Amino acid sequence: MEDWRDLLQVLVNGVMAGSVLMLPAIGLNGIFAVLRYPNFAVAGFATIGAFAGWVANVAWGMPAPAALAFAFLVAGVAGLLAEEAALRPLRPAGPLTVAIGSVALTLLLENIIRFAFGNDLRGYDLPVQRDWRFDGIRVNPQQLANAGTALAAAGALFALLAFTRLGRAMRAVADNPVLADIKGVDPDRIARLAVFLGAGLAGLGGMLVGLDTSIDPLTGFRVILSVFAAAVVGGLGSIPGAALGALVVGVGEELAGVILSPAYRSVTAFLAILLVLLLRPQGLFGARA
Amino acid sequence: MMRIGRRAALLGTGVFAIGGRAFAQAMPVTFGALPPLTGAGGPYGPAMLRAIQAVVEEANAAGGIPTRQGGRPIRVVAEDDQTNPDAGVRSARKLIDVDRVSAVMGTWASAVTTAVAPLCWENRVPLFTVSGADSITQLPHQGYVFRTQPNSRLQVTTATDWLLAQGARRVFHLAAQSPFAQSSQEVMAEKLRAAGGSVTGFVIYERDKTAFRSEVDQLLRSRSDTVLLNGYLPDVTILLRELYRAGFDGRKLTFAYAANQRTFEALPNEVTNGLITFQPSPDMDSGAFRRLQSRFGGTEVDPYSAQTTDHAALAILAAAQAGDATGVAIRDHVRRITGGEGEKVDNVTDGLRAIVAGRAVNYEGASGPCDFDEKGDIRGTKFRFEVAEAGRFRLLQMI
Amino acid sequence: MDAYLAAMLVFAGLYALMALGLNLAWGLAGMVNLGLAGFVAVGAYGSALLTVRLGWPMPLGIAAGTLLAAVAGAGLALLVARLRGDYLAIVTLGFAEVIRLIASNETWLTNGTDGISGIPGPLRGAVTPQQFNLVLLGLVWGSVGLVFLLSARLSHSPFGRVLRALREDEEVAAVAGKPVLAFRVRAFALGTAICGLAGALYAHYNGYVAPDGFAPLLTIYIVLALTAGGGGSMRGAVAGAVLVIVLLEGTRFLAGAIPGLAPVQHAALREASVALALLLLLRWRQQGLIPERTLTKAAP
Repeated sequence: MEDWRDLLQVLVNGVMAGSVLMLPAIGLNGIFAVLRYPNFAVAGFATIGAFAGWVANVAWGMPAPAALAFAFLVAGVAGLLAEEAALRPLRPAGPLTVAIGSVALTLLLENIIRFAFGNDLRGYDLPVQRDWRFDGIRVNPQQLANAGTALAAAGALFALLAFTRLGRAMRAVADNPVLADIKGVDPDRIARLAVFLGAGLAGLGGMLVGLDTSIDPLTGFRVILSVFAAAVVGGLGSIPGAALGALVVGVGEELAGVILSPAYRSVTAFLAILLVLLLRPQGLFGARA
Repeated sequence: MMRIGRRAALLGTGVFAIGGRAFAQAMPVTFGALPPLTGAGGPYGPAMLRAIQAVVEEANAAGGIPTRQGGRPIRVVAEDDQTNPDAGVRSARKLIDVDRVSAVMGTWASAVTTAVAPLCWENRVPLFTVSGADSITQLPHQGYVFRTQPNSRLQVTTATDWLLAQGARRVFHLAAQSPFAQSSQEVMAEKLRAAGGSVTGFVIYERDKTAFRSEVDQLLRSRSDTVLLNGYLPDVTILLRELYRAGFDGRKLTFAYAANQRTFEALPNEVTNGLITFQPSPDMDSGAFRRLQSRFGGTEVDPYSAQTTDHAALAILAAAQAGDATGVAIRDHVRRITGGEGEKVDNVTDGLRAIVAGRAVNYEGASGPCDFDEKGDIRGTKFRFEVAEAGRFRLLQMI
Repeated sequence: MDAYLAAMLVFAGLYALMALGLNLAWGLAGMVNLGLAGFVAVGAYGSALLTVRLGWPMPLGIAAGTLLAAVAGAGLALLVARLRGDYLAIVTLGFAEVIRLIASNETWLTNGTDGISGIPGPLRGAVTPQQFNLVLLGLVWGSVGLVFLLSARLSHSPFGRVLRALREDEEVAAVAGKPVLAFRVRAFALGTAICGLAGALYAHYNGYVAPDGFAPLLTIYIVLALTAGGGGSMRGAVAGAVLVIVLLEGTRFLAGAIPGLAPVQHAALREASVALALLLLLRWRQQGLIPERTLTKAAP
């Protein structure tokens, strides 16, 4: 690291990389908050979102914002259907069984996408823009737009949780399902909503990953370890935690790439998971375990 | 392409697609195809398999493999190696022991090839591969391994010589972790140093990551005139986008398997323009090269499917030459139909016709002259350098 | 065909060993280990390196590989033994990926993505390939039998009873004065030792190890085997392993029978059917095909 500018550039890169992890991590934590199991299938939902967005954008010629909305919807519906059909029946057996089921589910979803689309790489129909430079620090407009999209979606979710009756009901179920039930909140309805939103956000995030790279059936799988790291660092079940955790993991991986070796970025994600779970299982920012 | 794909798919499932002629109740000859259809090699395997099936279809239309009992039809059984040596071994077992294949072809990942190779030589089944690891042909394979991919030393030597001739002096090496990343680096550093240049940086990155901005920053800081992108399709596609965004205006060179027609579909032209690729190639004035251009509509067939085209053709012609389709016969006759002074043929139809007529043949394929040394490595191949322009590759030079 | 069946039985035996290893920690102590592929890799690389580089005799190499996997397991368990089941799942899954990264990148030790070839096998070269298959068949299934017997004794020993008590209710066991952490670490390490043994045998059977061979898919297969067989049941673990091989190999022939599909679609169907089988088994057979009779509560 020759000077402060290089360090700043690494930080900027990390924030950009982290911002695309943000939505899948929020999705994961949103589902965890209500249903109390880690859903590995967010990788599959992210891939589904990426391909839904591709169909909308390339095959149907929709502009990117509309394609993003479509990615959210399709992934959300797919997530809801998958949850109801595959994971919900496993809930009585405990969170570990559901977690293992979700590993199988993500393999299933990946292969459904492979069956339908093949393995070929695909790119969205968008121009690639040159970086902007601020005093030597380069930032890409597309990545800024992605970060903005992620923040806007996260913000919309916060608003939903904070200011609507539905949001308050969701938080109530997350805090104490029994009490919420007594108060007349239908926990099943809330669970379905959480899964729809969580899977939808994962899908939106998957398309953001795709906008920054290109997509194939392994798109979600490639980011899943980092997404889990983000969710755990932020505190499983904590939505603001996931947002901050994503940035921490993004920056951490970039720093590790520079200091350690680019071949060992994923090790950072693992170490982050290990350290946080051991020392502070409620996450760096979460109050609740 | 779609039409061939559908018919070829039927072949792959073990249904006989026997074109043109009737076969006189001859036992079919079975070839095993073992490309990666899932996992990291997924972007390559399906096209590699289609190429094998297309050649077999052509050979069947030309009468199959001639033997004393008449023409024997060929069938292809395809198994997915899942880009995983464990799955590859199980698939190879099935191909060898259940389907009794006479040859296995189209293995891609070096790990799969190395895992499968002992099964092949122990069971006397030739293995045709596109894997790049130099160690593969050094296995004690008793002549059963044929590799159509030039070893990495030869490839990188050729690429570095070419770069030097273009005036490159400061070359940055960005490599995915692979069996030949390190050896490529050593070859390139030595050659550049000898010519007064240098490798300005060497970064091995993690292939499965989706962001490589900090790697590109290192490249930018190094003030290099050239970057060698030593990776595969998914990661090189991301790197190309990143290089364009960063405004890198130096030379970009990559292996042709890391940037092909798919790259143009995934990236806008302004990003790919100027990208240089290189690959083993048949000579420009050969029939094989002209055929390649006409058959694939330009020079846009990817290097792996060019090689599996040759795998199938070599196995068929060797069996035809031997008049016998056992693995041993194929192994022993591959060099007889590739080296030597025979009539030059560049496809199975012409090759089969010449062999039936009793003429010696010298097969020149889509990936080069296909002359094998005693270890099973190809030699004497030319390399074709192409540049991407407006969504197509234009031939720059053949060396 | 005989050779194919023999080879698949060897694979089934190796998977059975891994399933028994997974069962020891999971079925008995309730500790899930989704990093199984990583411990198999430790055993495989350990034995491969010691026999190839240092010329150790095979039995010693296999023992060392087993021991290395046990040490790695104990080390990880010391750190994470107190974590909740689903947290443990996340950590162990990540651990296996780290092992794979190290195997890929520490070329000086592991020869990187090239892998290590030319690993000796018992009597390899001295007998025909088919006889070699049979030798390994005996060796692997002999090991399965041995591990089975040892685990059975363990399960009915005081140690096993404590583990089951721990799984059912940690606090009660702790109140009963049992050092919970030590018990859990030992159970976990025993499980990873068995995985390491399977890895070492795998290395000497195939003659080759490479990082790609230890992908998460392997762990999914073994979890599937154990789920099919029933967590906590050893007979179930072995039966499940055989079932997984039947499923993996059977889908080859089944998927091929569907006409009109491209090969990549067949491949996708095969992987999808493995995933679907696991989901269905989790749903309908939460106690597994052969449930443990002494258990009151289904694991996990």
